Amino acid sequence: MDSEDEFDMHDANGDDDDDNDDDFYSGGDDDAAAAMDSDEADVADYEFIDNDSDDSDDIASHRYQQNYTVLTEADIHQRQEEDIMRISTVLSISEVAASVLLRHYNWSVSKVHDEWFADEEKVRKVVGLLEKPAFASPNVRELICGICFEAYPLDRMYTAACGHPFCSTCWTGYISTAINDGPGCLMLRCPDPSCTAAVGQDMISRLASAEDKQKYSRYFIRSYVEDNRKTKWCPAPGCEYAVDFIVGSGSYDVTCRCSYSFCWNCTEEAHRPVDCGTVAKWILKNSAESENMNWILANSKPCPKCKRPIEKNQGCMHITCTPPCKFEFCWLCLGAWSDHGERTGGFYACNRYETAKQEGVYDEAEKRREMAKNSLERYTHYYERWATNQSSRQKALADLQQMQTVALEKLSDIQCQPESQLKFITEAWLQIVECRRVLKWTYAYGYYLPEHEQAKRVFFEYLQGEAESGLERLHQCAEKELQVYLNAEGPSKDFNEFRTKLAGLTSVTRNYFENLVRALENGLSDVDSHGATCSRAASSKSLGGTSSKGRGGRGKATTSRSSSSSRNIDDSGHWSCEHCTFANVKTATVCQMCHQRR
Amino acid sequence: MQASRARLFKEYKEVQREKVADPDIQLACDDTNIFKWTALIKGPSETPYEGGVFQLAFAVPEQYPLQPPQVRFLTKIFHPNVHFKTGEICLDILKNAWSPAWTLQSVCRAIIALMAHPEPDSPLNCDSGNLLRSGDIRGFHSMARMYTRLAAMPKKG
Ligand SMILES: [Zn+2]
Ligand SMILES: [Zn+2]
Ligand SMILES: [Zn+2]
Ligand SMILES: [Zn+2]
Ligand SMILES: [Zn+2]
Ligand SMILES: [Zn+2]
Ligand SMILES: [Zn+2]
Repeated sequence: MDSEDEFDMHDANGDDDDDNDDDFYSGGDDDAAAAMDSDEADVADYEFIDNDSDDSDDIASHRYQQNYTVLTEADIHQRQEEDIMRISTVLSISEVAASVLLRHYNWSVSKVHDEWFADEEKVRKVVGLLEKPAFASPNVRELICGICFEAYPLDRMYTAACGHPFCSTCWTGYISTAINDGPGCLMLRCPDPSCTAAVGQDMISRLASAEDKQKYSRYFIRSYVEDNRKTKWCPAPGCEYAVDFIVGSGSYDVTCRCSYSFCWNCTEEAHRPVDCGTVAKWILKNSAESENMNWILANSKPCPKCKRPIEKNQGCMHITCTPPCKFEFCWLCLGAWSDHGERTGGFYACNRYETAKQEGVYDEAEKRREMAKNSLERYTHYYERWATNQSSRQKALADLQQMQTVALEKLSDIQCQPESQLKFITEAWLQIVECRRVLKWTYAYGYYLPEHEQAKRVFFEYLQGEAESGLERLHQCAEKELQVYLNAEGPSKDFNEFRTKLAGLTSVTRNYFENLVRALENGLSDVDSHGATCSRAASSKSLGGTSSKGRGGRGKATTSRSSSSSRNIDDSGHWSCEHCTFANVKTATVCQMCHQRR
Repeated sequence: MQASRARLFKEYKEVQREKVADPDIQLACDDTNIFKWTALIKGPSETPYEGGVFQLAFAVPEQYPLQPPQVRFLTKIFHPNVHFKTGEICLDILKNAWSPAWTLQSVCRAIIALMAHPEPDSPLNCDSGNLLRSGDIRGFHSMARMYTRLAAMPKKG
């Protein structure tokens, strides 16, 4: 079941990515302008570029070299026409002949050029573009049709460039059969078995029925996308856009105009930083195990304390049982929430798979022990977290929508804040959506990370745990704490504190995820250079250097990490938390974000 | 339907007219159904089928000649591209390489050519294909010859 097949795909994280250093996750380490109190929206880094038109141009021009273009059907049509015109002009052939040529060489203009100028005669023969008729009609008034064998006057006969005569009824039938057989009709040849003459669009328009002509042009335009090496349809259901990609130009993640993000290479949903091969293996694995996994996906679990069924209807994993129990627990591991995160002083307790789980902790212990027998337990651990993050992301997307359409306006009224100053909330939600996506895929990554690579595992789980706990804090704040202000009667005194906290958490979480993504894209190679360490000091340092290039305009709370003496204090007197990098005010002795002592 | 009937009728008349034109092929139309034909073809010389006479059955679709006829061997034959039990034939012109300019007569000619030049890489008869692919020409010949004698030759005496 567990297929270890090799997948014949480009590796999304191959070495050729190096030239594409300017995008979201590849901030330069030399630039220490990591700022917390961003007053300029960073929204354009994410999927909703179009929503933020005021500065997206700016960003596109100087720090975001997009390596793909989204095409509408009109765009596709126009490009196709242009390519046909170009070939027709350069080769001095008809547009119909140019279309036949381009289709034959999968719409590669350069390939057509190369082949044609290398050996025109050979190309003509292969493609079926005859220069003179292969069959000279005898000088008679009537000809025999080669299909129905009836005699017809000349004016009822039609021929391709070869001159083989067939009557119009037989042509129509021949063309119709080919069109209804599929896209092969674009390479149609003369019905004479010994003849290779191409039957082009001119013959189709003259002889096909209206319905067939329409089908033919659908195939014609589809072929320009499907047979073209640089173009693919957006895989989102019902979406009619295509994406034109500059092959070899770096990350394969693209975002369609319909807002769906997918990997251009394997057309699965966007899965950076995990490579296509891992994703394909994981998806295959999931479908093989899908029946076993059904019970896990059930949306309700018993409260670990009072055993009443609890339904998870929020995005974050922090669940509070209904009164009178009110037990706070983690949806994923059903452990007490108080055991989670930095308070335990170690890993975020939930991401880590331990083979020797204590017995009796879970209600499903029986079931799980059974599953362990067929070695499903390990997979279950990763699958459950993968799937939960997926549904959390869906939920967050819906929440974001709701926020943008309803809640922000309401909040603006209640708190007497102009909507423009509530951007930090949208930003937080965008960050959550993106992080859920990344986190989800890191669980597929984790599943395939070899058990024996102990140092890498520990490092990976550390980074993943930090990122996950950061995200849980952020998600909880954006989801639950925000409610308080939404339900308030009037302006709340502490709304500005909330703003600082949420914006801070957003920025902290971004840092954690940038670290995580970079580490995975490097194949966790830092582990070797750091001597297999995962100590807090070492990784906090690396956390410190996570600023991103060119994300200017919010440099107030920068922390200068290059000089060790002033490492934790910047010009304005803020100090950066060793644990979560949050920039705290001078007077604070405990981190406002993670409550660790300075 | 009308077009295919007219075309088949033309082929029928052609067959009547040129009965002796191709001595290796004898096509005959079913007495009651113009969409059912049979043919007797002679095994090509210098092949293990030499001296044998093989019967083919044609089922012609209503879309003929835009769609190819279905053809199978009624006589048992040991050949890599013919299914040993059903007589089904794997031949490109009977599938995707069909041209409406082909006739039942030319299909017979193509089948005779296939008997002389088997395609062991798309076998319907795996035993036979494997013999040829492994280079055991003699093994293949003796099997094919045996079945020709058993099934395709008039019994002596
Ligand atoms: Zn005709
Ligand atoms: Zn022709
Ligand atoms: Zn789309
Ligand atoms: Zn991919
Ligand atoms: Zn409870
Ligand atoms: Zn947990
Ligand atoms: Zn902190």
